[in-house]
Parts: sequence; structure tokens; C-alpha cells
Amino acid sequence: MKFDVVIIGGGLAGLTAGVELCRAGVGCAAVAEGLSIHNAPMKEYVDAGGVLLSGDSVVRGEWEGNRLLRVFTRNLENTPLEAGNFIISTGKFFSLGLRSDMNGIYEPVFDCDVLYDADRENWVNPDFWGVQPFETFGVRTDAEGRVYVKGVPSVNLYAAGEILAGKVDIVKSALEVCRKLK
Amino acid sequence: MTAEEYDVIIIGGGITGLGTARDCALRGLRTVLIEKFDLTNGATGRNHGLLHSGARYAVTDRESARECIRENMILRRIASNCVEPAGGLFITLPEDDCSYQDTFIRSCRNAGIDARPISPAEALRMEPSLNPALTGAVKVPDASVDPFRLASANALDTVLHGAEILTYRNVISFIMEGGRVLGVRTVDTRSGEKAELRARVTVNAAGIWGDGIARMAGAEISMLPSKGSLLVFGHRVANMVVNRCRKPANADILVPGDVVSVIGTTSTKVPFSECDDIRVTADEVSLLLEEGCRLVPSLAQTRILRAYAGVRPLVTSGDDGSGRGVSRGIVLLDHEKRDGISGFISISGGKLTTYRLMGEYASDLVCEKLGIDAKCLTAKLPLPGSEGGMDSDDYSISLKVARGRHGTRVSKMDFADKSEVLCECEHVTRAEIAYAVKYLDVHNLVDLRRRTRVGMGTCQGSFCTAKVAAALAQELGCPEKAPEFVRQYLAERWKGMAPVCWGESLREAEFMRKKYAE
Repeated sequence: MKFDVVIIGGGLAGLTAGVELCRAGVGCAAVAEGLSIHNAPMKEYVDAGGVLLSGDSVVRGEWEGNRLLRVFTRNLENTPLEAGNFIISTGKFFSLGLRSDMNGIYEPVFDCDVLYDADRENWVNPDFWGVQPFETFGVRTDAEGRVYVKGVPSVNLYAAGEILAGKVDIVKSALEVCRKLK
Repeated sequence: MTAEEYDVIIIGGGITGLGTARDCALRGLRTVLIEKFDLTNGATGRNHGLLHSGARYAVTDRESARECIRENMILRRIASNCVEPAGGLFITLPEDDCSYQDTFIRSCRNAGIDARPISPAEALRMEPSLNPALTGAVKVPDASVDPFRLASANALDTVLHGAEILTYRNVISFIMEGGRVLGVRTVDTRSGEKAELRARVTVNAAGIWGDGIARMAGAEISMLPSKGSLLVFGHRVANMVVNRCRKPANADILVPGDVVSVIGTTSTKVPFSECDDIRVTADEVSLLLEEGCRLVPSLAQTRILRAYAGVRPLVTSGDDGSGRGVSRGIVLLDHEKRDGISGFISISGGKLTTYRLMGEYASDLVCEKLGIDAKCLTAKLPLPGSEGGMDSDDYSISLKVARGRHGTRVSKMDFADKSEVLCECEHVTRAEIAYAVKYLDVHNLVDLRRRTRVGMGTCQGSFCTAKVAAALAQELGCPEKAPEFVRQYLAERWKGMAPVCWGESLREAEFMRKKYAE
């Protein structure tokens, strides 16, 4: 299946981008685990003409150099989703957009470069109510919003929402990516 | 200021102070116990939960080993509801000195500990999670004990026998007259209200804070604060206590308790200034995990719920700098004989397993000073909840779980009107919370956790904190305090989560922050 844009992760960031792109006539497919809190934005996205693969998630991609060609989902093993551009918006730890073990933090689908403190003791603030450093960890992007993989920026994989490093405005980050893709 | 008159004041709401208070109360003494925070705030609430058979000390300290096995057998009777007779194994691994096992078995037998060598195959059959590389195993009567439950039962019995327990009361100074301690001046750490308590004897059972207390009276106890760190795993990976058969070292005991497992400990000298806010370092976590996996390899894939640390109140009598060589034996100090300060004694050293004996020694000396001839009853009388005689399968899951924690005391819980489950991980009902408020001296959510295990399960309070805080505030009759309970409780939970914040725990932490902090 081929689309203009495939959105990986259907939370607030991914669906905001999806609605915006569909309304601009960009053909989208979004792969979403489908939490019930996302029911309203999912409906809006489908109403805008988006294709929704609900209850599914992307497990890997195929690249040609720094260009992502297609992604494979858990449910559609033999039917990859192809697109000119991709958006990764899988969130941070709770939504499994980022994973961690005692040695490091990584992005599980494409092994995108993650910005985080190498010293595990600095991941947390001893004061629960203070600013928590782990909440600012996320994937590294270039000025255009494209993610780095193994030190090199990709050509067509953009990041939106909480998977980004730093303090993130979810909706704003999604709309910024849309401006590049419309 | 008001002045009260007692026979004995006990300073310290850990297991030693509580054991002493119960003993004194059972002997009919007018007893009051004061504690600067909540009960079990020190080493009592920060250890393995291991009821030693004494085997660990058999080679190095036969006296302690003998005390342990005697007390182990007594606590199985009087605290049956707090003790799980899991049994223990001492395993030898290929890198361990293989001749140690023979010395170990001989020493155990000399100390009266039933130590039985079994084949590695037999050990693996009993405990399939063991490191399959083991070359030898010895079975001993170790057990696990819930220190919170044990402390709570002692506190309850103390109060039921007419004594008083005052938590959140700090000692400011001693009331003294001509080298005699007449009582203490205290301040309520919450209200700031000051009071005087007077008694003919004052017992210092303040654990690692004991030296500070002794100094206020003009004495001193040479103590060596020795920090021990532990990890709690979210699953019960073994059914028996698993020890390493070698000279006591780091992270060589795994204790299963309820549905979790605890690996520990480390042993590091720390300054007194750190004892009030002790934290576990990343290096300690790595060491505990690495050594723990040598005992039970599946720990590497098991989620760590928390890391915590306690400070052993070891009394110095020659040391190697780390604290391991210092006697874990009981130290009873009569400050009249030792320092010329009458009406004042200190009880320290020892361990959780021997708390009752420490209480007995201290109470014997109190009675001697008071000129009272009253016998110790604590080795015979079961603790509240451990009387037995309530076997029935005619009750609900809620009742069964509560019975596990409170034994026969479940008869005081109102399951008819308060059956709702508020903490799902540990299955704590409103009935149990109401009971704890009524009988177990609860002032906030952190106190409630120590009495009921609320929020101690897998979610570490992520799901239950808000509703439990609301229910507790309601039961205490101060609904406006619920937000403060939440703030205080999550800050306390975080202390244990932060050192092990990766993997599933980091997911949990992000969820917790989103739910409560944003």
C-alpha cells in the first residue's frame, strides 16, 4: 500500500498531523495502538479522509541509504506501508516510543539517535515534584525536524510530539512537521 | 508544659523499642514510648525481612548464632502471623572456597542450628530458580518475617496492655538532676507543642540515633553507622531464603516475602549526618544486581520495584572499617555503672531476629532498677493476630488477604460496609484502612503504608494514591488533608523508585508524573 505520508504512532501528535495533512489533500495512513483517550481525534482524522490502522504498531522499516522506503506493522506482516515521507510520533516511555534498560535509552523501531544523559543517576531528579530530566530525553532531529539515525539525518523521517527531545508543545510540533510536508 | 509520671520511658519506635515497650507493659509497668517520626522509620523498616536461623553468623560469631536460632524458634510461635517458615539454603558456587561448607555445617551444629547438606540436584528440585552451576547446598531453618507487621503487632499489644505510644515526638533534652535522668522534654514535630515526660527509668532504644540521645544525657555510645542497601523485585523468584555459603559479603542473601523478593545487602561506612536521609547509589544497584544474579540468574529479567537502604546500629568493638567484622551481638549499657548517670540505660546492636531478647534484657534491667520482681512473658504470649485458631475457608479474598496481614485481628474489620478495594496491587480495602486508623496509630499515608502495605505493589502508588489518600483523610476526619497526603506519599515512593528508574519502572514513573505532577 502506498501513501503520501505514513504516520507511526496515533496519539495526539500523530493524529493532529494526520488531520492537518488530510485536509490539505495529502494522503495519509496512521498506525495507532488506539487508546480510548484518542477516540475523538481518531474519529476526526478518519472523517478528514485518513486511513487508520488501529490496534497495530510499526515494528521495523526498510531503508535505502538515509531514505525510509517502507514500514512493516505487527498485524500486516506481508503488506508494508510505503510513502514518500514518514512521521514518527510514538511518544516517550509510557507509550513505548522510547525504551530503556540500565545501560541506556533507545528508540525501538528504527534505532533513531536519542539525546539523553549517559550517567543513569542523572535521568531522575531526587525531588519527585521537580523537573525530571527523563521527561526531556528524546530523538535527535535536524533543523527540518528529521530524525538522526546512527549519526546521520534521515531524508524523509520526521518526528513530532513527545518523542522529541526538550520541552515539547505536542500540537505545535505536529503542525510544524505538516508545514514541511504539505 | 505538662509533666507525666511513668515507670519507664522508651525512646525509639523501632522493633527494639517496641519489643522493650511490650515487655515492660506486659510486666505491668507504666510505660510510654516516644518516636520522632513514625514507627519502623529506621533500620526496622529498611532491612531484608529475614528471620535468621543464625547460620550466617555460625562461623564468625557463635554467640549471635545461638541467640538467633533460639529467637527464631520463639518467633515462629509468638509471631506466627508475621513469620513465613520458608526455610533457607546456603549454596556454594564454583568460585567459592569449597572447604567452607564443611566448616559452616560444623559451626551450625555447634550453635544448635539444624544444617543439613543436600546435593545440588536436590537443591535445584527444591528451588528451581537457583544458579544451576552450584556445587553444594545446605538446608537451614531460615524464614522470612514482615518487620512492619511484627512492629505493628508489638505496638498494638503494648497499647492493649495500657501503655502509651507517642509518635512524631522528638526528644529535645533530658530532665536531669544531680547525675540522674528524671525524664525527657519532647516536642511534637507536627504541632510544635512541647511536653515533659517523667519516669524513674529511661531506655535509649534509638538505633543509629542512640549515640545522639546518649550524648544529650552526657554519655556516649561509640557507634559505627553501616549502610546496607537492598533491592526489591516485583516477583517472588524463589520460595526459600537463598544465601551464599561463604564468609558474609555483599549481596549474598535473597529473601522472598509475600509476592516480592529482596536482595541485599551492601555494607558501607557512612557519616552520622547522612543517617536521616540515606540514599542508594547507582554503583550499589549495579553491584546488588550482579551479585544477586549469581544466586538466582532470573533476577536479570525481573523488574526491580525499588531500592532502599538502612543503617545498622552497630556498636564498635574493634572493626575493619566496613562494619562487617563488628559484633552484631546485643549491647545493653547501664549508664549508672558505666558513666555515673542513673535512671538511664541503652539497648543497641542486635538484629531484627533478636529484638525480643533485646527487649527482655532491657526490661530485666529496668525492673532491677525499679526494684520490681516481674517475669518476662514475651517468649510465651502470642502477639495480637498470632493467636491462631481461626482456620476456615469460609471467607472472601479481601478477608483472606487482611487475615494474612493482621491475623485474628480481622475480626475488628468492618467488611460489610467497607468492602471496596482501594489498592489493587496489595488488595487493601477501606475496611483495613479504617481498622489501621482506629488501632494502629496512623497519621498520614506513609504511616498507613507501613501498617497495610498500601501502595507497595507493582504500581508503587500510581493508580491508588489519590483514592487511598481521600479514603484515609475521610477516615481520619480531616478530608482537607488528602492533597498533602498525596504530595508526601509520592515523594516518599519516589525515593525508592529513582535509583532503579529504567525499563518498566521508568514507564511507571512517566505515567505517575503525568497523572500527578502535570
